[in-house]
Formats: sequence, structure tokens, C-alpha cells
Amino acid sequence: MEPITQEDVFLILKLIEESKYDELHLEIGDLKLDVKKQGNRASVVDSKCVPEKSAKPALPAAPPEEIKDERVPDTGDAIIEESGLIPIKASMLGTFYSAPKPGAPPFVEVGQDITADDTVCIIEVMKLFNTVKAGVSGRVARICVKDGEMVEFQQTLFLVEEADDLDEGKRKSA
Amino acid sequence: MKVSRVFVANRGEIALRIIRACRDLGIETVVAVSEADRESMPARMADRVLCIGPPQAISSYLKVETIIAAALGSGADAIHPGYGFLAEQPDLVEACEENNLIFIGPKAENIRQMGDKLLARKMIGELGIPVIPGSEMVSTSDEAKKAAKKLGFPVLIKAAAGGGGKGIKTVNVPEGLKDVFEEASGEALAAFGDDRIFIERYIANARHIEVQIIGDRQGTIIHLFERDCSLQRRYQKILEEAPCPVMTAELREEICNAAVRIATHIGYENAGTIEFVFDQDQNLFYFLEMNTRIQVEHPITEMITGFDLVKEQISIAAGNPLSISQAGVRMSGHSIECRINAESPDKNFHPSPGRIDAWDPPEGEGIRIDSHCYTGYVVPPYYDSLLAKLVTWGTDRTDAIQKMQYALDNFKVSGVDTTVPFHQYILKNSDYLEGRINTRWIEDTVLREYVK
Repeated sequence: MEPITQEDVFLILKLIEESKYDELHLEIGDLKLDVKKQGNRASVVDSKCVPEKSAKPALPAAPPEEIKDERVPDTGDAIIEESGLIPIKASMLGTFYSAPKPGAPPFVEVGQDITADDTVCIIEVMKLFNTVKAGVSGRVARICVKDGEMVEFQQTLFLVEEADDLDEGKRKSA
Repeated sequence: MKVSRVFVANRGEIALRIIRACRDLGIETVVAVSEADRESMPARMADRVLCIGPPQAISSYLKVETIIAAALGSGADAIHPGYGFLAEQPDLVEACEENNLIFIGPKAENIRQMGDKLLARKMIGELGIPVIPGSEMVSTSDEAKKAAKKLGFPVLIKAAAGGGGKGIKTVNVPEGLKDVFEEASGEALAAFGDDRIFIERYIANARHIEVQIIGDRQGTIIHLFERDCSLQRRYQKILEEAPCPVMTAELREEICNAAVRIATHIGYENAGTIEFVFDQDQNLFYFLEMNTRIQVEHPITEMITGFDLVKEQISIAAGNPLSISQAGVRMSGHSIECRINAESPDKNFHPSPGRIDAWDPPEGEGIRIDSHCYTGYVVPPYYDSLLAKLVTWGTDRTDAIQKMQYALDNFKVSGVDTTVPFHQYILKNSDYLEGRINTRWIEDTVLREYVK
């Protein structure tokens, strides 16, 4: 699942501009987008990085007069590309578990150094528990999914700040 | 039971068809997409989209566990399987039951009973309904030869686990039997994981006639008349019409009653189709197989009866009784469906995936199009090539044909090759117009002329 990016927002706004609609309210998971053609109120709120739906709008709505990006700072997916962080993506759809069992400490925490071979989470599909390896070495910058949440195929689970000095370890495990 | 959110475990036009039916019923939809279908029309139209895996169907649309996990995780209370993929997979039905999800379709038991073509033949024969003369299971080429001699050549070699036109081979002379038998048995094992083979008499001058039935959980089963799907290429339907143009009132009653008897006998639930082979020389029909799902060509039945089969499927699955009685089912006019595929008729129907540069379908009274395509859509190479079902309705067959001719002439697609020109050719052919066709007509007559 690709997160909604700035580019997507621009695309949405462009679609609205070309449409006959005056207003658009778009909710994708925790992202809320409000656009008014005549008014001057517009906002983007993105409180966390788990979009519930494809970033493409279902149908276009109204063009904006003014766009103000009120994106809450320190959010995840929307800024991956600018930040240069490496995503660890879900290899299958299923339920995300951050720890080996309920109550146990999580496999990884923000700020933790990991190597490519480290288990970072479990994805459960119908009682089948699949361990997910980091596949990349570095420092965990962000955990994008809450424990117990369903994740899609290719959804970003973690963002990792790649450590150059760990490259050797990565190659070895790859 | 209540259905308030349907999980659509399919793609393409049928996914869109289900989404539209749900929307009309005020039901939310979640659509499963592979990575190749993220930008698809169903993905745009559904209330929610979940990517379930990579483009290859075996790792996405065919994964029972993933479909169930996705349906549960998205809070759906029912799964619609469409046709193809997992539509006739009893494991999915059972997994739904175990997880308190409503499967919009028949019981697992019904699917199994009809999925095994050998068992189905036996059961239908016992009901006193004619089945095509054929053998029991044959395990060796010698047994096959013996059975074939008894039936008389040509014969069809069929896989017990086949169906839908798959796993069928024709053998014209005894000499060819050994090789074809071995090939068929190997292919059946590879395709279905089941190498059981049987032999059927080949009916040369046949029409393919099928009866739409639908049954509710209360045990009521009705039919919605027949469809004629005789125009086939390699046992795949390409053009269908309803009603069958050569059907008499007596024969219609006989065949529709037979279909209802079969469905009643197995306690069938939801929409299904019972296929018959009609021997035009003998004026006799034989049971061929039952398809335990909604079919591609269901719109022509909807057009002549004014009855929405997909909505009814959902309603029945939720436990409601049928919204219509047998006496209330009326047939009016004539309907034709042309399957518009991304194929090059000039190149032996070679698939033609790619970007659709322009998609401009016809419009007008009596024209219906079920399609997921749009300008800019990229037809992925991973799935079937169906782009659109072009359906017309007319007051009679001539009217429906004229509307179809107009519709085909005004169907503008560029970027990919389509079967539109092939359908145009058929719709101008006097054999077709005058109803002198059979299931071999496309391959034996049309293709020979068309290719030159």
C-alpha cells in the first residue's frame, strides 16, 4: 500500500479543479482532506501513516482557491521520499504483531539498531505466523503500524535510517 | 443475518458489477486487488481497497487464507467471489463458515457435488434426466479405447475435475486415442490435481443451452429461462443470446423443469447454471454440467427478465427468501451478449494486453455495457482478456441483432486489439442471422472464412 504523498494531494487538487464540484471531503484512514472551491479553508491532516484506502480519489470534487498544508509534523509515510528513509514493507496481507506474544517486549523499538537478519515483527494470516526480517541494516526511525492492525501487501511497516557502516552486514545476509 | 459490508474477491468487470449491486442495496464494499490492479476501476469505485498480493493470481486472488484474513480485517460480513478464481472453491466456503462470514454463493457440498463431473453425471442419470452417453472413469488407454469403440467415434476425452470448457479433447479416429488419452490424463493432473478421465460421445450438430436457476435458503428454487451459448471457440463462449432462438415452448418447459429438479435434488442455494447439450438432429437434450456460481453471461438473462441476479444473490445469502416466485418470472424480448476481449482475431486470437489509448463504447437505448475499462487503463497480462460485455436488448431477435450491429460499429477502442471486428463479422453472417449454427460453427466455418 503506497501512502498518500504530496504528489497525490496535488493530483487530487488538480482533479477537483477540473470538476464541477465545489467541495471535497476525503478521509483515508487518519488522513483527512477538506477542500473548498470558493472558500479559503483547506487542510490536510495526517496523524499517522496507515492509509485505509488507495491514495487515488474515488471521484474528483472541487478545485481549491487556497491550499494550506496543516500536516501534523512527525508523521510517517507522506514524507518517506524526502527523508531518504528505507521502508520495510509487508510481504503479505495479514495481522501485524510487534511482539512475539502478547505482553512481551516488541521485537524492535524506535531508535534501535537492527541488522538485515533481525526479526522485526510477525504477520499472521489465518493462524499462520510469519516472521518478518528487516532485510536492511540501520536504525529504526519509525514504526508505522500499531500492534494487532491489519496490513496490506507491500504496506510500509517500519522506516529505517540506513547505516552506511552496516552495509557489509547487509550484503552478507542478502 | 445481515449483510452490510461485502468483500469482493475478484477483479475486472465482475468486481465492478458486484460493487454496483452493493451500492444500489446500500451495502459497503471492500475490494481485494493484486498489485497489478491497484489502479483498476473496481479499486476506484469500492469503499475500501486492500492489496492482497503480487500480480500472479496464485499468490493473490487464489489465496483462500489471505482473502479470509483481508475480509475479517476489513470488517466485512460477506464475501462475493464473482466467477473464476475462488468462485467454485469449496475450501473458501468452509473457511467463510468457520469465520462467521457469509459466502455469497452455494454451499460447499453443492460445489463438490457438481465439481466432480463423473459423480454429477451419475447423480443426474439416476434422476432420470438424460446425460450424454459416456463411460465411467477410464484408467488406461486400453480402457479408453474400449469405451470409445462402444460409443462410436468421434469422442470427447474429458477430465473429471474439469468443467467450463477446460480439460476437453476431441478424438476423431481410434488410432489417435492412445496419445490423446495420455496427454489428457497428464494435463488433468497438472491443471486440476486429479487425473481421472472419462469418455463422452461427441454430438456433432449440437447447441449449448443452459438454464439459469436461483434458490433461497428456505428451499425455493426457480429458473429464469435459458441462454443459448453455442458460439464457442475452443470450448470458450464468445457470444450468447437469450432466449434460445430454436427453442419450442414444450422443450423449454422440459429443459427448465429438468434444471429445477436437479437443483432441488441437491438442495441448491443461490445462483447457478445448468448446462445442456441439445442435439439438433435428434431433438434431444442432455445434461452437460452445472456451474455453481454467477456466470459471465448472466446479463442477458437479466435483460429478458428484468431481474437483477447479483442483487438477488446478496439478498438470498443474507437469508431473505426469493423476491419473486416462478409465476412472477416473465420473459420479454431478446438479448445478445458479445464478449469483447483484448485479443487479435487476425492473429489467431492472440492476447493483446497493454494501454488502452482510447475507450469509447457505444451508447443508446437497449445497449448495456459491463466493463471495467477506461481510457488510459492498462490491461494487465496476468488475467483473462475480457474487456467488456456488450449486451443489447431488443423487442425480438432481429431488433437485438440490429442494435448489436449498431453498437459494434460504434465501439471505438485503440491501443489494444479487440474481438469487436470478429463479432461484427458474425453479426453479418447469414448462418448466424438465420440460426443455422452449432457449437462447431465458429471453428469449422467462420474461422476458415475469417482468416483468409
